[in-house]
Amino acid sequence: MKYFVKVNGRDHQVEVVERLGELVVSVDGKVLDLSYEEVDDLGQVVVLRDGKSYALSIEGEPTRVQVTLAGHFHDIHLEDERERAAHAADRAHSKGGGVVTAIMPGVVVEVLVQPGGRVAKGAPLLILSAMKMQNEIGSPVDGVVKELYVAPGQAVAAGAKLLALTADP
Amino acid sequence: MFQRILIANRGEIALRVIRTAREMGIECVAVYSDFDKKALHTRMAHVAVPLGGNLPSESYLVADKIIAAAKKTGAQAIHPGYGFLSENAKFARAVKDAGLVWIGPPPEAIEAMGDKIKSRQRMKAAGVPVVPGLTEPVDDAQAALKAAETIGYPIAIKAAAGGGGKGIRIVRDAASMESAFRTASGEAKASFGDGRVYLERYLDRPRHIEVQLLFDQHGNGVHYGVRECSIQRRHQKLLEECPSVVIDDATREAMGEVALKAGKAVGYQNAGTVEFLWSPNGKTKPDGKPDGSFYFLEMNTRLQVEHPVTEMVTGVDLVREQLRVAAGEPLGYDQKAIHWRGWAIEVRLNAEDPFNKFLPSTGTIHNLRMPGGPWVRLDLGLYRNMEVGVNYDPMLAKLIVWGADRMQAIQRMRRAIMELNIGGVRTSAPAALAVLEDERFQAGDFDTHFLEKLDLGAQRADYDELVAAAAAIWRQKKARRETLATTGAGGEAWLARARRGLSTHVAHGAQKQGGAQ
Repeated sequence: MKYFVKVNGRDHQVEVVERLGELVVSVDGKVLDLSYEEVDDLGQVVVLRDGKSYALSIEGEPTRVQVTLAGHFHDIHLEDERERAAHAADRAHSKGGGVVTAIMPGVVVEVLVQPGGRVAKGAPLLILSAMKMQNEIGSPVDGVVKELYVAPGQAVAAGAKLLALTADP
Repeated sequence: MFQRILIANRGEIALRVIRTAREMGIECVAVYSDFDKKALHTRMAHVAVPLGGNLPSESYLVADKIIAAAKKTGAQAIHPGYGFLSENAKFARAVKDAGLVWIGPPPEAIEAMGDKIKSRQRMKAAGVPVVPGLTEPVDDAQAALKAAETIGYPIAIKAAAGGGGKGIRIVRDAASMESAFRTASGEAKASFGDGRVYLERYLDRPRHIEVQLLFDQHGNGVHYGVRECSIQRRHQKLLEECPSVVIDDATREAMGEVALKAGKAVGYQNAGTVEFLWSPNGKTKPDGKPDGSFYFLEMNTRLQVEHPVTEMVTGVDLVREQLRVAAGEPLGYDQKAIHWRGWAIEVRLNAEDPFNKFLPSTGTIHNLRMPGGPWVRLDLGLYRNMEVGVNYDPMLAKLIVWGADRMQAIQRMRRAIMELNIGGVRTSAPAALAVLEDERFQAGDFDTHFLEKLDLGAQRADYDELVAAAAAIWRQKKARRETLATTGAGGEAWLARARRGLSTHVAHGAQKQGGAQ
């Protein structure tokens, strides 16, 4: 199986093939000599490579994986070929703008824009309160507010739709 | 001494108090919200009384329920921990009126120091140096703009009833005053029910240095030296040290004396902390270190989160001292008995994402790997399968290490963080590691803006290949296991299917619950 892997924003291609019960792994076209052992079913993993052992913690979802190695955190986006094609099509469709979602669960304290209102990139759209802190949510683009999905006082979950923007062409 | 006390708190601080109390042969009563019925503090107490509800306002903030729980269980005293009702004079008074002992300062002292504006006026009068600024709250952004002209930028807008970094905004120029005033006042209103704010001069290259105090009920008081708390973001501390590279013995004694004077001015008892801002004055001391001045910031009338670093360096159990003096015992020693040995560092492990503006992170804790070994202390409230929601403070645990000198402590903390893993939520640990590995931090050259400016994105790429390969294998193995589970062989297929159905169901439920908190 071929994967497109983004490690802290850097792109790599990984291929994992099972041959005679053994995993053969190549990164960016280079075959790595390594063994992979799962210590438990929680995400403790030991990788041996060139006589060195690395204790990794791996967790997450199939397309978004977090790997911690010696305290250093790696945020990883993984796509197989099918997912990559689908995501590329999505991106071409929305052309920036689109729906602004809550990056954390919280409560909407104040909405600072109206449908139809113009917003500049970085301008505050609304204030979201979480864990007793108030956070200004800024506009990701220059554009126009298309639709509001929330009102002050409303509790929102992480990933909930807040408002929709139409980006300037 | 007490036979039984109630701890009006949750999380790591509740456990911290339970541990010392147990060592002293004192029984502990825990109180808990519905959300915390499986929490560590609930499990580790001798007796646990349900308060009901999930929100703090339905549980840990309901004074009547807590006092009733103490009466019902025969607790003789209440330890408030930090946060929640710890700096609530009304609660302290209600505890005393109920015939119980309040393990903390007199309500009058909480009131005197609790209002940040009044406390500054009072400290100024007592001869304690304070930061230049207004001593009265400002009404609106226009008034703030006007006042700012006389104080001079940069300016800090602070909540009159504030603390813990809530409602504080820094304004660098007149253009950003209005938006800053609005958010500061709004946050103050939401957090403290009091939207009043005041302005003061924001000092250049400031360091946050604080002095730990303890007074008994017989007029005796000592200070336990300083803590360096400059590694913070939006006034939320991330890493603390004891002592500080910029404070020499003479300055420590000077600050200690001023802090004791501040405490005495309000008739302080029990443990408390006087926070100072230290700012370099441009001169250099004979030993080559920068000279500076310190100003009174505020007094925290409770035990601080970062108290363990002082404990590690002085060898004093501050909770034990709190219990002793609350029970009426005399301090039993004076300033000459306090000695400082070596260096301690604490890192706060918060559920937040340092790579995404430190926004809160929620989830279920799993894949927990604890650090250990020599001179490593972990004060925690977390456990495997714990739900981390947004109703409570994001602090999950505190990692504390001791070293013979500062560099040894830095290396030990680095090592301990490398051993640690908290799976299920993002934590502040990688940010602390980045601080510890920074040359400027190691050299002691930093101020309270250090963390804001630190580029956490500048990650090493040397392990990219390994990490990318491991992530891909992990995904492939996981997918394969799940496929095998559905098509399981022969007579066991139904069992495997049932299991899989169950596990997806659980994962779903957890997600929903996480979102609703």
